[in-house]
Amino acid sequence: MAEKKHASGIVASGDLTKRVGVEQMRARGVDVEQLIELLIDAAGAEFTTYYYYTILRMYLAGNEDYKEICEDARLEDRSHFELITPRIYELGGSLPRDIRDFADRAGCPDAYLPDPPTAESILSVLLDAERCAVRTWNEVCDLTFGKDPRTYDMASRILQEEIEHEAWFIELLSMERDGDVRPSGHFRRGTPGASPYSKNTGFYNP
Amino acid sequence: MCDYNVELILPDGNTHRLKVGADELILDVVYREGIDLPSMCLMGWCITCTGQLVGEGKVDQSASLRYFPEDAAAGFVLLCTAKPRSDLQIRTHQRIALRDRRIACGLPTPRGGTYRLE
Repeated sequence: MAEKKHASGIVASGDLTKRVGVEQMRARGVDVEQLIELLIDAAGAEFTTYYYYTILRMYLAGNEDYKEICEDARLEDRSHFELITPRIYELGGSLPRDIRDFADRAGCPDAYLPDPPTAESILSVLLDAERCAVRTWNEVCDLTFGKDPRTYDMASRILQEEIEHEAWFIELLSMERDGDVRPSGHFRRGTPGASPYSKNTGFYNP
Repeated sequence: MCDYNVELILPDGNTHRLKVGADELILDVVYREGIDLPSMCLMGWCITCTGQLVGEGKVDQSASLRYFPEDAAAGFVLLCTAKPRSDLQIRTHQRIALRDRRIACGLPTPRGGTYRLE
């Protein structure tokens, strides 16, 4: 009978303390514990951003187009949190029990409401937040490329939306602050926070 | 504008000597010189780019969004948002050391980061 080379390995049959999906990553050079920590920080940043954007959008009254776009970014950041959190647990990690600890360790700064909360200052905060997210998810992609296709795929999908968010806020801030046209190349989402790359199926993540 | 001499000591023992202006961010010059150091948020928050002073030195860290007196007391530098105020000698790749110090001090800190060369 031909040998089944994938039928056994470092994880013994019946061993529930290890995961082949994790050990395969280690074998390919991924520092899984560090990756988990980075993902928790990144999830914390998505979650806090979702929270802070909730406030920021309230102060865009009179700029209804900005408000809607901020809402798209807000809901999509929540989708990113929802997408990456199951992966943290799959890898053997977990979220902090206390939400204060979660916020404290977020990998990106708090997107506080600026003072005064003008459209320009709010757009600046939004842009900085998106840029930090782009850098973060690029880093996750770099660390997982060719070694951990599942995390890479999630990070890549999140990154695609973060790049779009950055382009939106460049377009809006450029016109608001400088009077310059710098098209993002995008039009509005079909539905608010559509998350075209990052949303799981409706059953899993309604 | 005054240039300061900044010497970087990498984990493999290699050193790089830079001239950094008082209005320049150290990491900007690092990248301009083609030196590969870890970084992520570039806002003085995520601590990925942390270095630590060897000996005495003065650094303007006012551009950092989260930098504690305890960080400064232990000589930690967030290179992405650091401007020199004296000649400096800095040991790079000190993210884990800063993270552990903040945890020991009960201060908030990101826990993860790139692990290249750490």
